Amino acid sequence: MGERLAPPLEARAQAVAARAVELVVSSLDVNALVDRIDLNAVLSQIDINALMDRIDIGKILDRVDMDTVLDRIDLDRVLSRVDMNRLMATVDVKALVERVDVNDVAQQVDVDGIIRKVDIDAIVDRVDLNEAAQRIDVDELVEKTDLGAIIARSSSGFAGDLLDVIRGKAVAVDDFIARAVARLRHRPYTGPPGPPGPRRPDVSPPDQLPPAGPASGEPNARTPS
Amino acid sequence: MTARTEDAIPPNPPAVARDSYQGHYAGFVSRFLSFVVDMIVITAIFLLVLAAIWFSAKILTGTNIAFNHGSIWVLIGYVIWAFIYFARSWGANGRTAGMALFGVQVVRDDGGDVSERRAALRTLVFPLSFLFLGLGFLGIVLGNHRRALHDVIAGTTVIYCWDARAARLRYLSRN
Repeated sequence: MGERLAPPLEARAQAVAARAVELVVSSLDVNALVDRIDLNAVLSQIDINALMDRIDIGKILDRVDMDTVLDRIDLDRVLSRVDMNRLMATVDVKALVERVDVNDVAQQVDVDGIIRKVDIDAIVDRVDLNEAAQRIDVDELVEKTDLGAIIARSSSGFAGDLLDVIRGKAVAVDDFIARAVARLRHRPYTGPPGPPGPRRPDVSPPDQLPPAGPASGEPNARTPS
Repeated sequence: MTARTEDAIPPNPPAVARDSYQGHYAGFVSRFLSFVVDMIVITAIFLLVLAAIWFSAKILTGTNIAFNHGSIWVLIGYVIWAFIYFARSWGANGRTAGMALFGVQVVRDDGGDVSERRAALRTLVFPLSFLFLGLGFLGIVLGNHRRALHDVIAGTTVIYCWDARAARLRYLSRN
C-alpha cells in the first residue's frame, strides 16, 4: 500500500516545491540582490590565472571565423580614433631603424624597375637649373677639377686677359657710378637691367635684377658675340 | 689656342666678373671709353687717308696738296667718314671697333638686332646728344634703361655683350 501511495506524493511534493521556487523567484528583486553583492570581493577570490590555464584559447580561436570578425570591423572608424602623434611618440624610431638590415632591404629593391618608372624629363623640368648653377662655387670647381686646364686651352692669351681686365674695370666703374646715383636718388640699386630679347645667356642672380620692367627676367639662349 | 709663356703673369681678374652682365644695359664709362677709341680710330684712319691722297698726288701729279684742318672740305669729309663708320658698324653687327674693345653693343630697345636704317638714323641724331653741354647723355647715368637722347629717338639701347663669367673662368684657370 505504501509503495502505491509514494509516487503521487512525490509528484505532489515536486509540484509544491516548483511552485514555491517560482513564488520565491518572482518575489526576488534581482537588481537589488546584485547591488548587494560585492563583485570585487567575489573576483578577488577567483584565481584568474588558474581559470585562464583551464581555458584552451587555441580551441576557442579555432571556432572563431576571423574573416567574419574582420569584415564587421570598421577600420576607418578605428583609425580615426587613433592619435597617431601620440602613438608615434611612444615609438623608439632609432631602435627600430637599428634593427633594420638596410643592406638586406636594399638588395630586395628592384632599382632598375624603379628607375624605369621614373620620368626623368618631368623631374628635370621641375628643377630650376639656373638657380642650381648660381649655387655652384665656380672658384672651387675650377680649382678641384681639370676644367681650368680645358678652359685655358680653349681661350685666348695674355692680350685676351688684358682685354677682360679693361672691360671689367669699365664695368666696375659703371657699377660704381650707378650705385652712387642710386644713393643720391634714395633708391635701392638693383644692378643693371637689360632689354628683353635673346641677348642674355643667363638669368642674373636675384640681387642683380630689378623686380619689374621690360628688362627683367627673360632667360635667353643666344650670345651676341 | 695661343701659345703662352709660363712666366707670363695674367693681370688681376675683372672686378665685377663673378656675375656676367652680358645682355644688361651698358653704363656711361664703357660707352664713353668706346666712343673715345672710335674717335681715335676714325681720326687715325682719316689722317692716313689724307696722307695717302697727299702722297699719291705728289707722286702721280707732282702737286703738293695742303690739307688745312680748318678747311670746310676736310671737315665735310671727316663728318661723312664718321657717319659711314658709325652707321655701317652699327648696321652690320651693332658694334664699332671701340665698342668691340669694351664689349658693348647697340641693339633695338626690344633687344633685337639694329637694322641698317635704324643705324643710319641713330648716327644722324647722335650729335643731338652733344647739344647743351652733352645733356642728352644724362639719360645714360640717370635713366633706368641707360639710354641717351639719340637712343630714345632711334629706338635703340646699348648693352654689354662680353661674358664676364667666362673671363673670370679664364682667369681662374690660369692660377
